[in-house]
Amino acid sequence: MSGRRQDVDLPGVPGSAAVWNAGSDEWLVTADAPDALDAPDVPGLPGSSDESSSRAPADPVKALMQRHRELCERAVDPLEIAAGLEAHGVTDRTVARFRHRDVFSLAEEMYARVPRDGETGPAVAAVKLPKVRAGWAVLALLPGAACAAAVTGLRLTEDRPRLAVVIAVMGVLAIALSLRLALSRGSLHTTRAWRTTKGTRAWTCWILAYALLGDGLLGAALAGGPDGWPNGGLDGPWPVRLGSVLALGLACAPAVWFAHLFAVRARRRLAASRTLEEFAASARPLLLGVFGLFLCVLSGLLALCEVLLDEPVDPAAYAGTGALGALLLLARLLTVHGFTHAPAVILAAAGAAEATAVASAFAGRLSGCSFLAVPVETVVGAWGAGVVPALVCGAAALVLLVHATRTLTRASAHADHGGTP
Amino acid sequence: MRIGLLTEGGYPYVSGDARLWCDRLVRGLGQHDFDVYALSRSERQRGEGWIELPPQVGRVRTAPLWTAGDDGAGYGRRARRRFAECYGELAAAVCAGDAVARDAAGEASGGGSSSAADRFGSALYGLAELVREEGRGLTGALRSETAVRALESACRAPGALHAARGARIPDLLTVADRIERALRPLSLDWYDEEDGLGSVDLCHATSGGAAALPGLLARHFWGVPLLVTEYGVQLRAHYLGSREESGPARALLAAFHGRLAAEVYRQAALITPGNTHARRWQERCGADRAKLRTVYPGMDASRFRDVGERAECADPDTLVWVGRIEPGKDLVSLLQAFVEVRKARPKARLRIVGVPAGGPVGAAYLAQCKALAVQLFADEAEGVRELGDDPVPPVPPVSFEEIGGPDLPSLAEAYAAGAVVVLSSVVEGFPISLVEAMFCGRATVSTDVGAVVEVIGGTGLVVPPRNPRALAEVCVALLRDPERRALLGAAARARALELFTVEQNVAAFHGIYLEIVSHCPVRRAAADGTGEPLPFAVPAEAHVRGRWAESGTRSVAASGPRWAAGTPSGPGAAGAGAAGALSDSAQERVPAGEGTR
Repeated sequence: MSGRRQDVDLPGVPGSAAVWNAGSDEWLVTADAPDALDAPDVPGLPGSSDESSSRAPADPVKALMQRHRELCERAVDPLEIAAGLEAHGVTDRTVARFRHRDVFSLAEEMYARVPRDGETGPAVAAVKLPKVRAGWAVLALLPGAACAAAVTGLRLTEDRPRLAVVIAVMGVLAIALSLRLALSRGSLHTTRAWRTTKGTRAWTCWILAYALLGDGLLGAALAGGPDGWPNGGLDGPWPVRLGSVLALGLACAPAVWFAHLFAVRARRRLAASRTLEEFAASARPLLLGVFGLFLCVLSGLLALCEVLLDEPVDPAAYAGTGALGALLLLARLLTVHGFTHAPAVILAAAGAAEATAVASAFAGRLSGCSFLAVPVETVVGAWGAGVVPALVCGAAALVLLVHATRTLTRASAHADHGGTP
Repeated sequence: MRIGLLTEGGYPYVSGDARLWCDRLVRGLGQHDFDVYALSRSERQRGEGWIELPPQVGRVRTAPLWTAGDDGAGYGRRARRRFAECYGELAAAVCAGDAVARDAAGEASGGGSSSAADRFGSALYGLAELVREEGRGLTGALRSETAVRALESACRAPGALHAARGARIPDLLTVADRIERALRPLSLDWYDEEDGLGSVDLCHATSGGAAALPGLLARHFWGVPLLVTEYGVQLRAHYLGSREESGPARALLAAFHGRLAAEVYRQAALITPGNTHARRWQERCGADRAKLRTVYPGMDASRFRDVGERAECADPDTLVWVGRIEPGKDLVSLLQAFVEVRKARPKARLRIVGVPAGGPVGAAYLAQCKALAVQLFADEAEGVRELGDDPVPPVPPVSFEEIGGPDLPSLAEAYAAGAVVVLSSVVEGFPISLVEAMFCGRATVSTDVGAVVEVIGGTGLVVPPRNPRALAEVCVALLRDPERRALLGAAARARALELFTVEQNVAAFHGIYLEIVSHCPVRRAAADGTGEPLPFAVPAEAHVRGRWAESGTRSVAASGPRWAAGTPSGPGAAGAGAAGALSDSAQERVPAGEGTR
């Protein structure tokens, strides 16, 4: 009989047979051996033998309603009752017993007779939390660990340049891999539909690379350098800010945790709100609070890293790294909630601005083009090389923050986009 | 003629529903060209590939229904405003009162809430036109805050559905998501006059719901007539399928699907339900009775020919039950009935042929039935063994078998093995095993469920479900009366051959295609071979409403037989010549079609 499904010629709808049989499991229970043998005295259904009809209730529909109480109570219209009754084997011929012409009119009577107490109860559904794969909270620590390991390795091999290069390459690979792992689950995981494009990814990498090397390069370029490759410290010909990258890596964990917090809290408020405005009003402080919390943690991490790595305090670089962290978190949050366009544009713009700054510094060296470097020289002269990422990332983060307060407070941003059904 | 066959999760996918039926239809109507427009239901289904297609299938266009294809592109300001208007209309029409129930009542009493149906239709076509003009981006818009806000305001509006008033934000989000899924066919790239749905002469949707939606749009854009075949009503499946949503969300979705079904039925040229049950539901959902033609699914009768034409059956004391073993088949009643049968006919046997339905439920039920059989017939088996004189090993009174063993090499043999075929279901759709038994010329005893009475007609015995005593009485009566068995079997076979063969199914659709095309032809600008428009190719009179043939002048009919001249106009006048058909279409179909544009 295994080939029977192929033999069936019925051009049914999706699982029409299954649909017919849905809900019939109860026959297993009710049609138990001894009872059904004696008399299949199912109230409200024909087939009961004659002696049972004499003691049939005066109101057969009521008995039927009691039998299908759950169906009647949850039905939203008569057709739902009709479909449910048919699935339980009630046909047009059997409803003649209830003095009805067809199942539909019987269902209408049943629907009309169901007591409805005005409102359909405070049906606060259980909050469906976004599905996350296990281990996300721990995996979020990986980028920080990879960064710390890489920085430690570089510090330990300061006097052996070849080994330092190997360590640096391995460190970058490890950080990339761990970042991928950390973002592959948890609340910062993007669904298939909203994957970040390659271009956005490239710009993100460029901005991160700039955070590590850019300030040093810009400073050296304006000073006529750079006169050599970076040696992993702030005192070389091409200074490297390991502290900021370490802080960013460590900040991945709070970012993922706070994103989860935001998602969970937003779901709760979604379930509790009555109107869309109410939700928006309650989600805005939530978003700002989570964002502020992240900024606090990030600045704490920055301070800690600077102390640990013994780097001189540079307020501009400090602000730049903080703004970059904020920018990356906001971009990721927006992408995860389906708003891919704005983050892509803003990240590209920020990256381009930083690239322009460096390029103009180099272009200024060409004969007759020295005016090109004037703006960058002026700004860097006043506040230091760290001011460029601070300005660029700060502006970008601000734009994204304004965008996020408008979009992430919409209810539709928190809908359950399950993807494939 | 070029037929656009619209399927959802069916033909031509290997794992599709109804692919056999579609395949037979396409192969049986080789004189037409078929373009298949298939929506796949899952990635797995798409991966499994297609079945082999006959040469008359010219083109197959597929689209996934399981993925949104949201590229993140948003609409511009003007498109957004248009979308908000259309979606607001749609939401308002969905929320306006009890959609289906009151519609049916309203139409019966001559209009009423047809304005809501009109609003739904125009909103739907408005969205479709938006997609045609703006390209992609509808998916994002359907999930946007605009959509949710429109739903919210529609729910809170005065006169909205009572059950939807308590809708909370998660409900609205669920509804917006489901509506987006249901409207995915709007974003397809099939709507093209040159090589898309605009180029076909007839759209045949093999199910309602998503498959019929492209047909609706083709009807709207180019006036392509739509034929809808439904073997199970989608709306009903929706009611039974929606379990986990909350009350307001279910109310809104039911209203949406009800409106959509009503719009499909309203715009369809003809609707062919597969059985009376589907027909009743369609009527209930607002289908015009004049458009309904029941076309039974066809079944390949050749497998059962030998058995059906064989004079005598194997064992005059054997009852056979064939089917998938699951609780809805109520084998427990059958076993209890068989106890009574055994009392009256001690030599009677019951052979239960089938495999358990998929999942743990079927297997558990089979185990339960086997245990019950052992318990009920343990004494008799013992008794037979104690006699000891019989050289033949005792035959068990009840046996559970599967097709493919040495006893039952084929399905037809399973039916042939019994004198009477029994069907004891408590729930049943269109009972396939009953039809097969009819093809085999067996007398049948069935319970009065589903479409059983419709299938069996008067050619078998029907008892109430869940009544073992009645079942037993009837079985015993049939076992005692071989002549009646033979008579009923012959009648059943004749009925099945008349109604349930593949040939009748194909012939019915052949006739329906011709009828539709003669009634509502697609009016296209005529072009010559080089694509230049041909002026005056269609006479201006073709567009004039009213009667072409001069009424009252009998001499007009001189070229044809006299009876043809007096043919009354209406749906039955399909074959009454081109002039008659055109006048019909001018009078009846065209105004309806133009009224919606």
